[in-house]
Amino acid sequence: MNGNADDRPSGFGTAQLFSPGADAIYRLVLMTLASCLVALPVLAAGIVRSNYVTGVGIAPSQPLPFSHKHHAGELGIDCRYCHTSVEKEASAGIPPTHTCMTCHSQIWTGSDMLKPVRDSYTEDKPLVWKRLNKLPGYVYFNHSVHVTKGVGCSSCHGDVTSMQMTYRANAFEMQFCLDCHRAPEKNLRPPAEIWNMEWKPPADQASLGPTLAARYHVRGGERLTECGICHR
Amino acid sequence: MIREAAPAIRPREDMRSVGEAVSAIALTHPAGRRWWIAFAGATALLGLFAFTLAYLLYEGVGIWDNNNAVVWALDIASYDWWIGVACGSLLVSGILLLLGAEWRGPVNRIAETVALLATAAAGLYPIIHLGRPWFFYWNLPYPNTFGLWPQFRSPLLWDAIDIVSFLVVTLSLWYIGLLPDLACLRDRAHAEAARQTEAVAPTRRIAQFRAQAYGVASSGWRGSAAHWQIWGQAYRIVALLGVLLVVSVQTGASVMLAGSVMPGWHGTLMPVSFLIHAVLSGVGVTAALVVLVRGVYALDGLVTDRHLDALARLMLCLGCASAYCYGAEFFDTLLNGDSGGRAVLVRRMEGGHALAFWMAVLGLVLPPQLFWSGRARRSPLALAAAGLLVAVGAYADHMMILVVTLTQDFLPSSRLPYSVDLWGVATFVGSVGLFLTLVLLFVRYLPPVSITAIRRLVPAGSSGESAAPRRKDEAEREAPLWGVAATFPTEAELAAALQALSPLRGRVRLDGYGPVPMPRTLRALGLEGRSILPYALAGALGGGAAFYGMCIYATAYDYVFLIGGRPRFSWPSFVVPSVSFAMLTGCLAVHAALLWLNRLPRLNHPAFNIPGFLRASDDRFFLAAELPEDGTDLARVERRLAGLPPGGGRPLATARIPR
Repeated sequence: MNGNADDRPSGFGTAQLFSPGADAIYRLVLMTLASCLVALPVLAAGIVRSNYVTGVGIAPSQPLPFSHKHHAGELGIDCRYCHTSVEKEASAGIPPTHTCMTCHSQIWTGSDMLKPVRDSYTEDKPLVWKRLNKLPGYVYFNHSVHVTKGVGCSSCHGDVTSMQMTYRANAFEMQFCLDCHRAPEKNLRPPAEIWNMEWKPPADQASLGPTLAARYHVRGGERLTECGICHR
Repeated sequence: MIREAAPAIRPREDMRSVGEAVSAIALTHPAGRRWWIAFAGATALLGLFAFTLAYLLYEGVGIWDNNNAVVWALDIASYDWWIGVACGSLLVSGILLLLGAEWRGPVNRIAETVALLATAAAGLYPIIHLGRPWFFYWNLPYPNTFGLWPQFRSPLLWDAIDIVSFLVVTLSLWYIGLLPDLACLRDRAHAEAARQTEAVAPTRRIAQFRAQAYGVASSGWRGSAAHWQIWGQAYRIVALLGVLLVVSVQTGASVMLAGSVMPGWHGTLMPVSFLIHAVLSGVGVTAALVVLVRGVYALDGLVTDRHLDALARLMLCLGCASAYCYGAEFFDTLLNGDSGGRAVLVRRMEGGHALAFWMAVLGLVLPPQLFWSGRARRSPLALAAAGLLVAVGAYADHMMILVVTLTQDFLPSSRLPYSVDLWGVATFVGSVGLFLTLVLLFVRYLPPVSITAIRRLVPAGSSGESAAPRRKDEAEREAPLWGVAATFPTEAELAAALQALSPLRGRVRLDGYGPVPMPRTLRALGLEGRSILPYALAGALGGGAAFYGMCIYATAYDYVFLIGGRPRFSWPSFVVPSVSFAMLTGCLAVHAALLWLNRLPRLNHPAFNIPGFLRASDDRFFLAAELPEDGTDLARVERRLAGLPPGGGRPLATARIPR
């Protein structure tokens, strides 16, 4: 650049700066970058919704293989026999070992599978179950108001009576809560159906729902979607 | 006192000397040692920035000493200032471009660079001032698992959209302007690489790599008449989008304050004074940088007194407008305002933060008054000093507006004192370090003034050294033929030759290449009707309408969230982010059209085989006639070219170009 302008090569025979293949590579890179701009957010959105992240459908191993299907489904034990506070308190309650022992002090008393239960009872140490459904600390949730106002167990927890090992049926993301809070009448049941794990909205839910909402004094829409309803 | 304007370029300059002078800065790095010293200083400040940000992320925004009353202080002042500088310089560059001010070459590039880099610094502030910066994307409409939409009625959201759009538009304007200059750098670097290869110099690999880096950056720009046509349109359209976006961005920043009921903020003058002070500070920073680049790289031949004079006059006008804004505010508050407003005015002048007020007035209003004097207008030192003072004043103005109002709310219980904290200052100084580092990298590797725009000032034909007509090199006769090329010293002769070949246009594809936009060549090629305006309009209107539709769908149907009695259809508040987004999509559409219509990027092209084609980005004009596969018409093209009169289309040289 410094020298006399005339001693720069005249260009006769100056080679191309790039080989013909460079174009294909350059365009491929540009298109890859452009598609990454779209693909990466889509991929990220997909991953955060995947069962791998939300844990939906994955049954973790527990201290002993308790089967909701056997107890609540085949034997027909009522949910409230174990989850005693579901109608009265915020938490549904995890049964203490004593609840298990009401039956298992009489039946299957020698079963190896139940040894942790007997150990827990004799040592007076609770069984440590792996928690499935977690809510963040800034979410206020109350079981009793839901089950007494027409929201059945299975609406959130799925058909527990069909679960051999219990798993999370829904990712409790805010979207899940809001779907119902925005239009509660779509999921309200008559009081008799609350504990029915196989409940599906009946054909006349469109007319039944608003009637139930009025009966339960559920005010949907603007009231149930106020921030302070859940974030107190 | 209308006088003949001083020339915008030193009389002896020609196309080649302009290209040499500017590309030498990037390729030979004449200010080596001074640059390294400055770069070391700037990177030290950048390191300080990294350190403060790390501490901020670890400790939280509490380190700035903001409190429950003064929730916004240095962080928002810095953001407003940076985005103001960016808006101001973008506005100046855009308006000069749209008005076709022919002297704009040295100013435009620096103004666009300041706009881009100030936006980069500004863009970090809204993110880092969040309590949890890693969730910054919560402010944007994205497919989330909350089942929520952002609040489209809020200027906070407008700001998020504005920043993203502004970054894209400034980057695009900067890059489009840079594109032909990058090609010029590529060709100079390529020539240098070829020379080094021939001499088997030890640095030939690096030289080749540098040429290829500029080649990739310039996307295979060949300077074809059609390229120039679309380029000119794209540049102007993006400038227009940028100018419109500036209004939208400054509205977002100022309505956030003016829309509240706080005394000192709640006024219709606020958006106007914000915009004026933004433009003033942008001109100030641009002027200081222009003077710096001119001094360091001895560019007084290209950046003449005329440019300094124009910048100084602009600063004078804006300084007077700023004085008017202050005057109007005093007048309005004292005559018409309530006691709260009057109290804020008095506290600004004599309260705990009175320093900010006096710095703002002394910085924004007084220094530009210097430029009533013609001598001061042509003094680089005065211009740079006034530019920096104005920038400082604009910062103080933001500080004054924010802090004085916030320290005293209506409730005595929510009055808290605030004093500037070291970490807040360190954050701002660090962001200056980021800006300076990027500025230094820019002047090191890219042309700091626009080669293309300055070349258009060179009188036509001044590069016409006479070369004997010369027959092509016969060595490549055996290779399959792409076409015939011819070299001309001026655009007029190229246009004449193309005119003479135009009857062959159906069978032979004609094109002209040159270092500046070539309107006459376009006419000869019959391309003058092409326009990318429909693409830009479709992109902008489509994007804007889609965003507006999203606002309405989200706010009125999908996420009805009635708060403070705001209507479901809050249609006026959706206009601002929609306009910003329209500018973004319009800009993307222009960019896509620029590449698509010019069939770029094309790194390898037969035209690069034309002998001496490197000078197509220097001082030569080339004709290329692309022949059909069978090579018919070859003789006819060559005969016609040879038959043209000297000076009326007779080429300096012709050559057969292999595929």
